[in-house]
Amino acid sequence: MNHDPFKWGRPNDATYGAYNHHIAQATPYAYEEQHASSTSTTTSSFPKMNTQNPIITGTSVISLKFKDGVILAADNLGSYGSLARFTNIERLIRVGKETIVGISGDISDLQQIERILEELETTQEVYDNFDGGDDLKAPHVHEYLSRVMYNRRSNMNPLWNAIVVGGFDKDGKTPFLKYVDLLGVTYGSSTIATGFGAHLAVPLLRQLIPEDKDYVNITEEQARECILNAMTVLFYRDARSLDKFSLVTVKNDGEFKFEKELRCEGQRWKFAKDIRGYGSAQQ
Amino acid sequence: MNSTVASEYSSEVHSTPIEHRFNPYSDNGGTVLGIAGEDFAVLAGDTRQVVGYSINSRYEPKIFNVGDDIVMTANGFAADGAALIDKFKNQLKWYKFDHNGKKLSIKSAARYIQHLLYGKRFFPYYVSTLIAGLDEEGKGAVYSYDPVGSYEKEQCRAGGAAASLIMPFLDNQVNFKNQYVPGTDGKEKRPLRYLSLDEVLQLVKDAFSSATERHIQVGDGLEIFIVTKEGVRVEYYPLKRD
Amino acid sequence: MNSIAQKYTHTNNNRILNEITSARDGLASTHQLELAPSIQLPPISQPTDFLRAHTDDATNPDCKIKIAHGTTTLAFRFQGGIIVAVDSRATQGNWIASQTVKKVIEINPFLLGTMAGGAADCQYWETWLGTQCRLHELREKERISVAAASKILGNLVYEYKGMGLSMGTMVCGYTKKEGPTIYYVDSDGTRLKGDLFCVGSGQTFAYGVLDSEYKWDLTIEEALYLGKRSILAATHRDAYSGGSVNLFHVAEEGWVFHGNHNVGDIFYDIKEKEKSFNNVDG
Repeated sequence: MNHDPFKWGRPNDATYGAYNHHIAQATPYAYEEQHASSTSTTTSSFPKMNTQNPIITGTSVISLKFKDGVILAADNLGSYGSLARFTNIERLIRVGKETIVGISGDISDLQQIERILEELETTQEVYDNFDGGDDLKAPHVHEYLSRVMYNRRSNMNPLWNAIVVGGFDKDGKTPFLKYVDLLGVTYGSSTIATGFGAHLAVPLLRQLIPEDKDYVNITEEQARECILNAMTVLFYRDARSLDKFSLVTVKNDGEFKFEKELRCEGQRWKFAKDIRGYGSAQQ
Repeated sequence: MNSTVASEYSSEVHSTPIEHRFNPYSDNGGTVLGIAGEDFAVLAGDTRQVVGYSINSRYEPKIFNVGDDIVMTANGFAADGAALIDKFKNQLKWYKFDHNGKKLSIKSAARYIQHLLYGKRFFPYYVSTLIAGLDEEGKGAVYSYDPVGSYEKEQCRAGGAAASLIMPFLDNQVNFKNQYVPGTDGKEKRPLRYLSLDEVLQLVKDAFSSATERHIQVGDGLEIFIVTKEGVRVEYYPLKRD
Repeated sequence: MNSIAQKYTHTNNNRILNEITSARDGLASTHQLELAPSIQLPPISQPTDFLRAHTDDATNPDCKIKIAHGTTTLAFRFQGGIIVAVDSRATQGNWIASQTVKKVIEINPFLLGTMAGGAADCQYWETWLGTQCRLHELREKERISVAAASKILGNLVYEYKGMGLSMGTMVCGYTKKEGPTIYYVDSDGTRLKGDLFCVGSGQTFAYGVLDSEYKWDLTIEEALYLGKRSILAATHRDAYSGGSVNLFHVAEEGWVFHGNHNVGDIFYDIKEKEKSFNNVDG
């Protein structure tokens, strides 16, 4: 403890060593890190943390609620840094009868979550369904995943993902859409997008659904059109995206539509040539 | 630095390698406030959740009726806040199992929450916590905490992003700080009195609409939990969404 | 001392953890630590660095978690017992978190503890000390001595040495055997018996006034005033001290509270009465 009146009661460098700015400035999100100063310090001076950095990554998941269900989309790209390494990654996972989980971020952690969810489903069937227990519904899946994510972050060993869970509330009718990320932060909204989509797609989605409660006026067709448009716009500007994607529509009449290998239709690249530094036009 | 901004989670190629150190904390903004009255207490908070400059959700409640006519909020890092409140709810449940459904007094709840927070003294919850309810005499009570559990019973307290905007206003309007009886040349302080529920609600609304004007992390909606001897009720008012 | 501390804290943190864990295991069967909680640590190799990086707002004003800190406290012995005086301000960085903190913790009707440093550390461990003292009473059928009480606290904080606790406290009490007694205990593990202590960022200002006016033969009235006056001086010159002055007198029958004195009010009263503080107009 420092006894200098000006720093009274504070940690003393002589006892604790110098203040470690690198820990304080570490960021949970990669994009912030790019703005943070990264001075050359030897790795050994950092506290060891049992974590990894994302290697193969998937970009945004975008999603909407509409009148009688939810709709989620995610492209099929697995990036290795800036290299478009895999183009056949499925990032939407069906859980139980009517729940869909969309995952962005690290693909190996995605696969771990896939295994966790499979186990959850099996356990649920074995223990609960035999004697007429509840079906596994979206709120349950979301709650479970949020505990897993928070637990992993508290062990300093996060699953490097942002997850969207879509489906229905426990009444089986009201559309349900919630988010959880590598820190365990959760929120619900009628429009959710992860990653780059949170910056680029959310404004498009919120144009359709300005207030959370407004989703009740939106038809499936409107929602679908909005999502398709958002996927196209993301493809224009997100350098880590692909124009091939999966789209899931879940409706409260029991319909579960899983469409794979969709393409961003109606791309209009004419705009590109007029933008300096984007298309072919130089200077 | 030569890097391009891409999706949040992709790793980038840099001239210098980036060390991905993991920071388990983030700030989800928002602000909360509690006021105790003579026979009631209110706990209010905005409903916006943010990270950085992005608005995650315009309606993500952060105040909860945890049972036994106690309302609670833990503002700051949303995941820690949710974890703390869940833990307390769970413990309250066990308390009831163990003590034949006995009601937990707010005084005991307050002490218990200190233990929850201090239990993570070396890996703190990044939250400012408030609880509100009625004390054993039926008077309004608000308890406020620092991140590691030092606590105090107070008449009013603002916490979170706009605490520094709201707290001085509350000092002046609830505890009549720096108010004097007119014509006494600053000699006689304005006498303290309990505010009515209507006055308190008006103060809360003014505090939040003003904070919304001046703080980027505050807005969208205002949710007010009111505890009276009849129980807990909730009111919602829209705030500016810009 | 620092070199030893460094040896045990900076590079060999795991040893501290192991030590604490084993200490806990060893002491869990004795009565003293039964009620002590287990405190979770960040699961990394340098938990102290982690804690400091996120909570030391004095070194890094941008750090996220700002822990409430307390500031000027004093206690002194004189012929009529002990006077304890404290301010009531808590700060989190430059933000005044509270002006109404109770920095005197009433451990039991005969023992007082003061709070300086981390507000939660003092509040938490001194209440814990209260339970330990009560257990002592139940076991031994007599009140705990100030020496023993302060030693329980001293041993406890020493267990956590190097982990980042911050407290500077005075355990003040009166027992038949000891008379009026003050022990200074801080989070380094220091435990000192003495007649007069000022603790906290405003300590120097309080010492200045207290030392110049202090006599053993002070009447209770004079002693209370001196305590109040010393804290007032500290609140005037130390930005981290302020709010109001809480006054206590400890004597054979236990402690007596002598009021909460708002600095804004008493400052001008005292200035006028003493013709002091001539640096201030009005």
